[in-house]
Amino acid sequence: MQVLPSFPLRISPVALLGLTLLLGLIGGEIARYTRILPRITGYIAVGILLGSGGLDIVTPSLLSYARIFVEVSLGLILFDLGRHLDFTWLKHDPGLLPTALTESTLTFIFIFLTLLFFGLPWQSAMIGGVIAVATSPAVVMMVAHDLSAEGPVTRRTLILTSLNNLISVVLFLVCIPLTQPDISWYLACGYILYRLLGSIALGLLMFCLTMSIGFLIGKRKENQFVLFSGMVIFTIGFALILHLSSILTVFTLGVAARNLDHKHYLIEVDFGWLARLFFILLFVVTGVQLQLRGIWIATFTVIAYLIMRFVAKSIGLWLFANKSRLTRQQTWALCFTLLPATETALIMSYKLFDFNPEYGYLLMTVITSVLAISYIISPIAAQIAFIKTNEAISNPHWRFMRTSQDPL
Amino acid sequence: MKATEEIFSMLPAFKENDFPTIGTELELQLVDLQNFNLGMEAKDFLRRLSEVEHPGKVIPEITQSMIELNSSVHNSHASLVTELRNLRDILANEAYQAHIGICGGGTHPFQKWSEQRIYPTKRFVGVSENYGYLAKQFTVFGQHIHVAVPNGDDALYVCHGMARYIPQFIALSAASPFQQGVDTSFDCSRLAVISAFPLSGTPPWLLSWREFEDYFQKFHEMGIVKSMKDFYWDIRPKPEFGTVELRICDTPLTVQKAADLTGFAQLLVKWLLEKRPNLSQDIYSTYLINRFSGARYGLDAILIDPIAGLHVPLAEDILSTCDFLEEYANQLHCQFALQQIRKAAQMRDNDAVWLRRCFMDYKSLNDMVRGQTEIWRE
Repeated sequence: MQVLPSFPLRISPVALLGLTLLLGLIGGEIARYTRILPRITGYIAVGILLGSGGLDIVTPSLLSYARIFVEVSLGLILFDLGRHLDFTWLKHDPGLLPTALTESTLTFIFIFLTLLFFGLPWQSAMIGGVIAVATSPAVVMMVAHDLSAEGPVTRRTLILTSLNNLISVVLFLVCIPLTQPDISWYLACGYILYRLLGSIALGLLMFCLTMSIGFLIGKRKENQFVLFSGMVIFTIGFALILHLSSILTVFTLGVAARNLDHKHYLIEVDFGWLARLFFILLFVVTGVQLQLRGIWIATFTVIAYLIMRFVAKSIGLWLFANKSRLTRQQTWALCFTLLPATETALIMSYKLFDFNPEYGYLLMTVITSVLAISYIISPIAAQIAFIKTNEAISNPHWRFMRTSQDPL
Repeated sequence: MKATEEIFSMLPAFKENDFPTIGTELELQLVDLQNFNLGMEAKDFLRRLSEVEHPGKVIPEITQSMIELNSSVHNSHASLVTELRNLRDILANEAYQAHIGICGGGTHPFQKWSEQRIYPTKRFVGVSENYGYLAKQFTVFGQHIHVAVPNGDDALYVCHGMARYIPQFIALSAASPFQQGVDTSFDCSRLAVISAFPLSGTPPWLLSWREFEDYFQKFHEMGIVKSMKDFYWDIRPKPEFGTVELRICDTPLTVQKAADLTGFAQLLVKWLLEKRPNLSQDIYSTYLINRFSGARYGLDAILIDPIAGLHVPLAEDILSTCDFLEEYANQLHCQFALQQIRKAAQMRDNDAVWLRRCFMDYKSLNDMVRGQTEIWRE
């Protein structure tokens, strides 16, 4: 029996995972001490530093080990995002749904044309456009949470993020079979129908199961916390077994929990500390996968992508701002809060890689660079937007960017 | 001399009124429909309301999750009900589009006072600087009832004459059994929050407006108050309106109940000014005990009458008050309000009872607040 460890010592994936978390935490706090950067920027910077673009100490085995945690993190975030999609608000605010549809459509078209202009094949450009539609729920939630942002802009950001993520996922499921050159139309239709309707059906089935368990366990917060966490993990696993979209399935579960729980068996649960843990892990691991080399290879493509995305979303927002009776300040703020590019972009890019490695590689080069820049700029932009609209809790360090009517 | 004039100018001349007209102010909760906690929505909601025509006034309150709805001046209970319903419907429509909830109730059951934010006006910022954490704890929701009186002397007479009936209003309006996530065992827990302020309590035992002006001047010279607004008394004269302002009630869950309480106050003031019962400072010897009982036990409270030396069940006391107000109800067309007050006393049914029942049904404070937002729209 071997008592002592064998040399040379090898660091285990578990230890590396813990180290990643701790370094992320430190990175986040260092960013906060700058008084301008949000914590997310620190998490991402640590990820980039640990990844192949930096010190290269995060191995593929760690990444695969961390993958389950990342999927759970994303699942919880998407479930929470689904719970922000309240149909009654869409019914009562005539500008909300048109805003979401317009900004999503314009973003898709603008990015598709931009990527075509810079020479990407139409299949990559199409998936690039689909990815651009979605705003990052993790960045929006994390920045809002860190600033204790509350108010109409924060709520509207979350429902618009919810809507554009839904549109993006649905578009992705429709477009992805089209990237395979030799796929027959009936196979493509079958794939789309199975993945789209199957994911929604599974989400609804899981909702029924959640309601039944919710009825049995009652409304104790502790119990419902475990119920939601367990159900999200179970749903992800089940969706993967059935080759369905785990993103759409979990999202459907969240939307159903918000809108179909007529007997109010479910309560609002704050994932709190657990969410913080998962957020750090998600951002650090996302940072690890980001590469800045695309910036040198396709500088203009990346810059054009970011600018056109901002322009498209802004046009969509301004077109219906009057209909939703938003002020100019609120509309500008939304233009910035919807800026963060989503972390699901990587999952979508990998999927394209599976379907068509050549197109996937081209897109991945652009997307990882876009994400890297977006993660640096967009949390700061969202932070400024929440502060300028007085929805963030006062912090003396922000005096330089505060207005005269700040809340105390 | 000029300085003295300036000091006096802080207390406006008492506006004289011939008829006991009524009006009311309701402090309302703005809630987030996602989790039914209080939402920091007042500023945007008031901006939206300013873009539509509506009767009365809607103004900010001390923290950003509160608004105050002010009715116009009314001769009768019926016209007040009509206006309040109209205003309620307009507010509800605006709230739909902004996707926030509005509700009554004296406290929010689980908001954390430390998370509240002061509404950025000079006055509220000043209150926050003066009172520190008490200002945020002041996120409680009351109904203020105005009844017009002929002159300042009568206003002071009514203020002290009403002291006997304050517990009735506390118990009838009680709608704050829950605070900071727990059942307080009080029907009205809001009053404990107000009692923490040094200028809360009752007006001084003065029955002449001239003496009251001197009293105010002294406090003003000492830098304790700037205007009558700084006195957080249970009842106080409001010279610029020519009214007596009853400030003891929790905001009821419905505008109908708010109007009924206002009608009840109008009848009492009318009766006091016509019958002119003798006032005795002895009423204040058990005032705080009775105030506490009304808040703690609601309509099941037992009152101590220090002058007659009796213990009287509060509900019975309300019913006997309703009996002698009957003829005034006929004069002022306020029979329906009096009938509702009588029914509440007979059934021992106030909003605190409704809230506890709602919590028992839903087993969740969040769902209870949802119930509050629904009943407010009915």
